[in-house]
Amino acid sequence: MEINCPDVLLDSLENGHMVVDENFIVSYWNRWLSINTQIHKDEIIGKSLEEFYPEINYRVLQRKIKTALSIGTPTFYDANSSKKFIPINRNKVTTSSLKLMQQQVTISPYIVSQNRVMVSIYDISELFEAKLLIKKEMRTINKLNEKLEADREIIDKNIMVIKTSSTGIIKDVSTFFCDYFEMEKEHLVGENISIFKVADISNIIYRELVQTVQNKKSWNGELKYKTLSGQEKWFQTRVLPIFNAHGELHEFSAVCHDITNEKLLAQLYITDSLTKLYNRAHFDETINLLVKHKRKTDIDFVLAIVDIDHFKSINDTYGHQVGDEALIAIAKTLKNSIREDDLLARWGGEEFVIMLKNVTLEEAKNIIEKVRVNIEQSVINNNIKVTASFGLTRYIFGEDAKEIFKRVDDALYKAKNSGRNRVVVK
Amino acid sequence: MKVLVVDDSKIARMGVIKSIKEVYPNAQLLQAINGLEAVELYEKENPDVVFLDLTMPVMDGYEALGKIMEINKEAQVIVITADIQNEAKLRVLVAGAKNMYPKPINGEIMAKIFKQDILL
Amino acid sequence: MNLEFNEDQIDALREFMNVSIGAATASMANLLDAFGTMHIPKIEICNSDELADKIEASIDSNSMYFVIKQLFTGKFGGECMFVISQESALNLGNYLYNAKNSSYDDISDAVLELTNILTSTIISRLTQELDTQVQFFVPSLQFLDSTSVVSDDDVAEYSKIIIISTVLDFEDKQIKGNIYVLTKDKAIESLKILIDKKIEEIYG
Repeated sequence: MEINCPDVLLDSLENGHMVVDENFIVSYWNRWLSINTQIHKDEIIGKSLEEFYPEINYRVLQRKIKTALSIGTPTFYDANSSKKFIPINRNKVTTSSLKLMQQQVTISPYIVSQNRVMVSIYDISELFEAKLLIKKEMRTINKLNEKLEADREIIDKNIMVIKTSSTGIIKDVSTFFCDYFEMEKEHLVGENISIFKVADISNIIYRELVQTVQNKKSWNGELKYKTLSGQEKWFQTRVLPIFNAHGELHEFSAVCHDITNEKLLAQLYITDSLTKLYNRAHFDETINLLVKHKRKTDIDFVLAIVDIDHFKSINDTYGHQVGDEALIAIAKTLKNSIREDDLLARWGGEEFVIMLKNVTLEEAKNIIEKVRVNIEQSVINNNIKVTASFGLTRYIFGEDAKEIFKRVDDALYKAKNSGRNRVVVK
Repeated sequence: MKVLVVDDSKIARMGVIKSIKEVYPNAQLLQAINGLEAVELYEKENPDVVFLDLTMPVMDGYEALGKIMEINKEAQVIVITADIQNEAKLRVLVAGAKNMYPKPINGEIMAKIFKQDILL
Repeated sequence: MNLEFNEDQIDALREFMNVSIGAATASMANLLDAFGTMHIPKIEICNSDELADKIEASIDSNSMYFVIKQLFTGKFGGECMFVISQESALNLGNYLYNAKNSSYDDISDAVLELTNILTSTIISRLTQELDTQVQFFVPSLQFLDSTSVVSDDDVAEYSKIIIISTVLDFEDKQIKGNIYVLTKDKAIESLKILIDKKIEEIYG
């Protein structure tokens, strides 16, 4: 069935529709307009729109009406500006950003022969509000981005950060990192991180690092690097694994902090200034810690004490300087005769202590016997020969440091009293 | 009868030719794709009628019209163009064209052209 | 989907655009009371990621532009884009609003009105040539620099695009603008079918 009553049709639409001619005489005014403008169609039909709405720019409107009529397609009135067409109050209470309805006005040819057009008003306030909201949010985002960018720059200029792929290929480095290492970013990116590996750091540390990050945990520790000019630097380094959205390892980020000076100070504090071996304080601290914590792997050790035989006569015969040289030479011999993991320190005067780890008393005795022979066979300052006496004892679970030192002293005393240049075990 | 059709677009020339054939199936047809070619062909072939486009590369229709009129003051040139501004029409009429018609042309318009604008 | 055009198809499309631009120029000439110089339309086929560069290359990089985009749909659908320099737009605004220094709102309204006439005329004329009909949408206006007329984000998805472009040139009024009719993928296919029908009709 064909519908033949356009009035009813237009009245049922939720938009404003009016028919005007090029002199703005209204010949149709739909229900939506009546309700929203409080102007009944009987009041306005037959009259000019100008009588009711003098603020509209009629010169422009007329041109648009003419255009719509002449080209036969719709034209759009003021689709972009803040100007209103027919002001309609907006009664929305919860949001107050718009007092007046934001409108889109379309002028379509209606009855071209009578120069009549249909002017349609669409409420686009919600859309407009959404746009305003987006604009506001964008401003906030831009501000945050600016701040973020500033922070990023501070980090870049002041903190050493290096990023690598999951396989260790360098992806990014901070400016500060480059400056510090006297390297160019372009040269670093694409290289493997292993170029920073330094030979004299034990592989155990690197292995621990790799294992930790492969287990998707962050690693924290001290690493030594060499700068381009060959300076050795110590870094407190934190390596963080970074995951992608699927939880897979994506890249690593490392933050480094130069601790070279602290490291040097700490080294100085535990080093004997003459022999460069550990000093008594460090040895004491180490042994006390081991005894206190009672970790099985740590307290499995043998303690040896070394005393140079007749050292006083070297000092008396050749002078203190030669005496010092002798101590340095003996320290070197000692160090070269034991294993890397064993702890060696100058105990005071002509006495040294050695902590031999994870050995039986028999094995320890063999090692120390070798040490004794090495000292006996060495020649100091081209013509001086020395010997040393050794006390040796095994740590007994539960005893404190005093007790083991008492025992090892007893052993040394016995070695001294039974002719020197020998090893006594107790 | 000899007719010269000038347009850079092939479909435009074909449109004009199709319309001519509806009116004069036996017309002898010449084609040129720009003003320069048109002037050269005009000089050589001296056609009875020229259908000339305005917007063309190398030499546009205004210039070609001038040159053709120089060759033959009595030349019968009909401008067929997409440029439907009144001023364009004024310009070509002043330059000597018999008339100007908007594109595209059809047989009906062509019949009118031959009846009104052209002396054979 | 074969989106390539042969010589005859490009020739036909260029001619239809020529006719459409002719109508648009005449409408504009009425509005501006001036004579417009017509230029030969250009047809280009490119990938979506090349569009921004192609548009940028066709305009002067030193100016700011009002860019109006209007969507049209139907068997032949796409976007009609009008790019007019700030200077031309000001001249247009001043002329249409009878002012010395038009406000931004007046200028944008004048530009929109002009675009409205242009796109309506061009597209309805083009679709008339192609024996089809289209529906128009409300145009959108932006004020941009030459590099942002088409942003890369807008054309993130890959597609083939046809650019039909020409220059509108009203020298007396110092008003000049670039007009682009853009269409892609499926609409190109429909366009080809429409063109082929027309070619067959004329070539006989």
